[in-house]
Amino acid sequence: MLQIKNLKASINKKNILKGLDISINPGELHAIMGPNGSGKSTLANVLSGKSGYEISGEIKYKGKDLSELKVDERAQNGIFLAFQYPTEIPGVNTNNFLRTSLNKVRKARGEKALDALSFLKLMKEKASELGIEEKMLSRQLNVGFSGGEKKKNEILQMKILNPNLVVLDETDSGLDIDALKIIADGVNSFRDKANSFLVITHYQRLLDYIKPDFVHVLSDGKIIKSGSIELAKELEKTGYKNII
Amino acid sequence: MIQNFQIKNSVIDQIKEISLEEKKFRLKNLDVFNNEGFPNNKNEEWKFTNIDKIIKTNFKKLILKKDINELKKFDLITNFEHNYIILVNGRLKSFNLDFEEKNEVNISTFKNNNFDFKKNNTLINLNNALYNEGFSIKVNDNYKMKKSIIIYNFFTKELKENMINIKNKVILGKNSELHLIEYNINNSKEKFFNNTYESVFLDKHAVYKTISINENRSEGFFHKFSSNTLLSNTNYTAYIFPAGLKFNKVDLEFNLEGENIDCSLQSASFLKKDEHQEIRTKINHLFPNCKSYQKVKNVLSLNSKGVFQGKIFVKDKAQKTNAYQLGKAMLLNDESEFNSKPELEIYADDVKCTHGSTSGSLDENAIYYLMTRGLNRKESTSLLIDAFLNEIISTIKSKSIKEFIKLKFEKQIYGH
Amino acid sequence: MSKENIKTNQEYKYGFETKIDSFKAPKGLSEDTIKFISKIKKEPKWLLEWRLKAFSRLNKLKEPNWQKPKYPKINYQDLYYYSSPKSMKDKPKSLDEVDPKLLETYKKLGIPLNEQKKLSGVAVDAVFDSVSVATTFKDELTKKGIIFCSISEAIQKHPDLVKKYLGSVIPLTDHYFATLNSAVFTDGSFVYIPPNVRCPMELSTYFRINASETGQFERTLIIADKGSYVSYLEGCTAPMRDENQLHAANVELVALDDAEIKYSTVQNWYPGDENGVGGIYNFVTKRGACRGKNSKISWTQVETGSAITWKYPSCILQGDNSVGEFYSIAITNNHQKADTGTKMIHLGKNTKSKIISKGISAGKADNTYRGLVDIGKKAQNSRNYTQCDSLLMGNKCGAHTIPYIKNKNSTSTVEHEATTSKINEEQLFYCNQRGLDQEEAVSLIVNGFCKEVLQQLPMEFAVEAQKLVGISLEGSVG
Repeated sequence: MLQIKNLKASINKKNILKGLDISINPGELHAIMGPNGSGKSTLANVLSGKSGYEISGEIKYKGKDLSELKVDERAQNGIFLAFQYPTEIPGVNTNNFLRTSLNKVRKARGEKALDALSFLKLMKEKASELGIEEKMLSRQLNVGFSGGEKKKNEILQMKILNPNLVVLDETDSGLDIDALKIIADGVNSFRDKANSFLVITHYQRLLDYIKPDFVHVLSDGKIIKSGSIELAKELEKTGYKNII
Repeated sequence: MIQNFQIKNSVIDQIKEISLEEKKFRLKNLDVFNNEGFPNNKNEEWKFTNIDKIIKTNFKKLILKKDINELKKFDLITNFEHNYIILVNGRLKSFNLDFEEKNEVNISTFKNNNFDFKKNNTLINLNNALYNEGFSIKVNDNYKMKKSIIIYNFFTKELKENMINIKNKVILGKNSELHLIEYNINNSKEKFFNNTYESVFLDKHAVYKTISINENRSEGFFHKFSSNTLLSNTNYTAYIFPAGLKFNKVDLEFNLEGENIDCSLQSASFLKKDEHQEIRTKINHLFPNCKSYQKVKNVLSLNSKGVFQGKIFVKDKAQKTNAYQLGKAMLLNDESEFNSKPELEIYADDVKCTHGSTSGSLDENAIYYLMTRGLNRKESTSLLIDAFLNEIISTIKSKSIKEFIKLKFEKQIYGH
Repeated sequence: MSKENIKTNQEYKYGFETKIDSFKAPKGLSEDTIKFISKIKKEPKWLLEWRLKAFSRLNKLKEPNWQKPKYPKINYQDLYYYSSPKSMKDKPKSLDEVDPKLLETYKKLGIPLNEQKKLSGVAVDAVFDSVSVATTFKDELTKKGIIFCSISEAIQKHPDLVKKYLGSVIPLTDHYFATLNSAVFTDGSFVYIPPNVRCPMELSTYFRINASETGQFERTLIIADKGSYVSYLEGCTAPMRDENQLHAANVELVALDDAEIKYSTVQNWYPGDENGVGGIYNFVTKRGACRGKNSKISWTQVETGSAITWKYPSCILQGDNSVGEFYSIAITNNHQKADTGTKMIHLGKNTKSKIISKGISAGKADNTYRGLVDIGKKAQNSRNYTQCDSLLMGNKCGAHTIPYIKNKNSTSTVEHEATTSKINEEQLFYCNQRGLDQEEAVSLIVNGFCKEVLQQLPMEFAVEAQKLVGISLEGSVG
């Protein structure tokens, strides 16, 4: 699904990723853990194609080089980023946004656009799975949403857009335990043989609910250790200091 | 003497020891003033202040009087240590720089060497034609002044129908620092007109802080045009407390001629009966990454008129500009008036420019709240007014200066 | 979306010209032209005198030049002041008699006029160059006592109403272009809503400039009598031409006690090409008088067309407790220029006004908000709230905010806020990440930015306006 080789990225001449390698097969869930400033969010941004970064190295997605694709083209090809801080867009209705987005992705997949009625049905079904009230969906996109609502909205979008590679950027930050469980359930219900996940987190807490196949430790722009869930548990006990 | 506010060329012939170039310059400017007169409200910059009408209603004539030397004894401010300059009717009489190292700060009588002719404000033309030398201050590169300079700006008693035109200059060298307090003491009980042109130049990394305040109320009609040139990485902070004059317009133009400039201007005033006061600013953002901040607060009582015209100009290459401007007015009386024109002219897209203007009465709910806590109406009102204006004063960094300004400000409001 | 697709969308889709024989007044501005117009319209003597008075005043006025967008001098002697399709010379009695070419034109513009296909819930007065072609739903409206017809017809059939209100809001001797209009206006719409009647449908005028070298000078007069309500919408388009064409309309609104007028404009005159050649000069005077107590006038405008837009729909709040509103979207792209805003003149007690202005500037365009809020001495307890937001796309365009604020009453409150910024990169990234391309993302974000204004439009037109917002900005980013 995703092969990254010797990925380097810098922004404003500051090197952030310094030769990162990772390989994710279909159906796998990889967790990337690391202290603040280790380059976690940069990795998420680079994968989604955000502009402003100087990049070298190789990123292959579904066997193809990603570098030529723009942000929207990557999204249409099934890369989904759940934002750490979902952006507020005033005046834009959440429902309409989601439908526009879904129909773009469907079009790219060669599927027919969903009409308003079928979309509403789909949306209601997915929203209720996440315990999202319909009222929230008629509000302006992320405007005035609580931290939990914003994150739930990200997971709802993931479920509706049906991507192949999901990048969760510190989705657990700022959530209480109830919201965290709902979000973990949402992610777990979306796991299957075809979908891959890259879960970026600072704390091991999330991994109690979303069980990773592999855990990597990111430090100073490189992966310095990889292992199983046991690695995350060790980190929780000893902290990053003992590893780095 | 100016008859019908026309000035004879012979006035300039009488000025001694001037070069031919200067004489030509003065005559050319005089010509413009004689042809066009005082600005009126057809001029956008004078939209809410018809100075032509104001002068003509208040003065039958304006006299250019000979230099007056008289100065009674006075007490220096003892609230904090400071250097000082003494001006009488705008002219430099003496100065004291005891707190500073020798030869790092230079104070002298202003000499004009800029004879660029411009035509946009006839009061500047009038000043160019008739100016007397005021003061000039120069701070050397890398010298940070240890104490503030207070300008004791005396206006003498017998200024009836006088017109005073003065030019001043402030130059800060690279990486230098100056704090200047302009303290106006008006002894004239009669109406007079004071027209000042000031130029300020901040070389790279210089820091300039300035405060102006009037010691007492007077019958003065003041206009000051201040032209400010700021180079990169400079820091400019001004506090203007302009109340206490019959008429006062402070015209400030800033050219931000470099990157990373921080320019801040704040003003608070309580206008009493018949006072007319205007602050007009124009801030030209010409380079990227500069910040400008303006906050002007007015409380208007009894037939007073307050005006704030502020313009922010952002040139196409001045990306990452951050400009903020707020004008707030509290009208206490139906005979008072507040006019404002907060203007933005923006040609760069990556900017954050915000302006706001509000005017209204005292908050009746707040008064009610205070009264339920046992204050009477008058006390409640005072408390709210103080809070409204103190927001500006409280941001002055030096504690001793802040206390001093507070004292003077309270005197302006309550007259004790 | 493929490149080609974008290209076709960007083209002005109303740019076609209808080949039709027209009947014109001789070129030039003179007493004779005015007499010609008055005669052909069989006007009463008082109106001709009124026009001539305006004309003599015009000769003493100077064309204003304080506005931000400058334009080359207009040669007023080289314009036609009256142009009517020949087939309209003998007024058709019913739609069956209207020239099929004209009906076809409006059909192409999306405004079918014939009975079977006409827009449901919207009565339309169609103005083609200088004359009104047809008015739909007339019978239904007449039953309620509502008068909705061309102003020419009103002059004939309701002279008392016209005489009473014409020029009562925009006096004969106003500024240059308003006075020019008073001298030479040709047609326009007239609306009268009788007391306590709520107009059951949207009333709409659709203006079309077709003939070349012709100025359009229409005059609209709307009177809402006591306790009545009307919602009115105007739309405008013109063919693509290399020349600049002048459109100098006057719109007067009068709201009596407890009456409400909602006036919406979707202005999509031809803006000129991407090099700034051609396009309409849209110099319009719109003014409403809230004459009665508790009356309300609300202006909503979506200005996307014209080479130059220069107008300030205003409210004179005379009646106690009256309300004035101004909601505006002005989009300028390429070489377009707009200098628009409003005047809120508070005269009565407890009067309220609200101004929401959204300016979007792209390409090499200049967009200015200019407005006046004036609280008079006697306007006790009045309130104004103003919010002006500007968006800039690129650094070859400009956005300017010039508000004049006067408060002469201590019991009244005026609040003004304005911001200028560029389109938010994080918002664009978010939309891109959800699969929207740059143009779609911009359109979505800008529509969100304009939401407060768009939602003021009648439903039927809101969707159209939203599309227009997107189309107007195509090609402006990335």
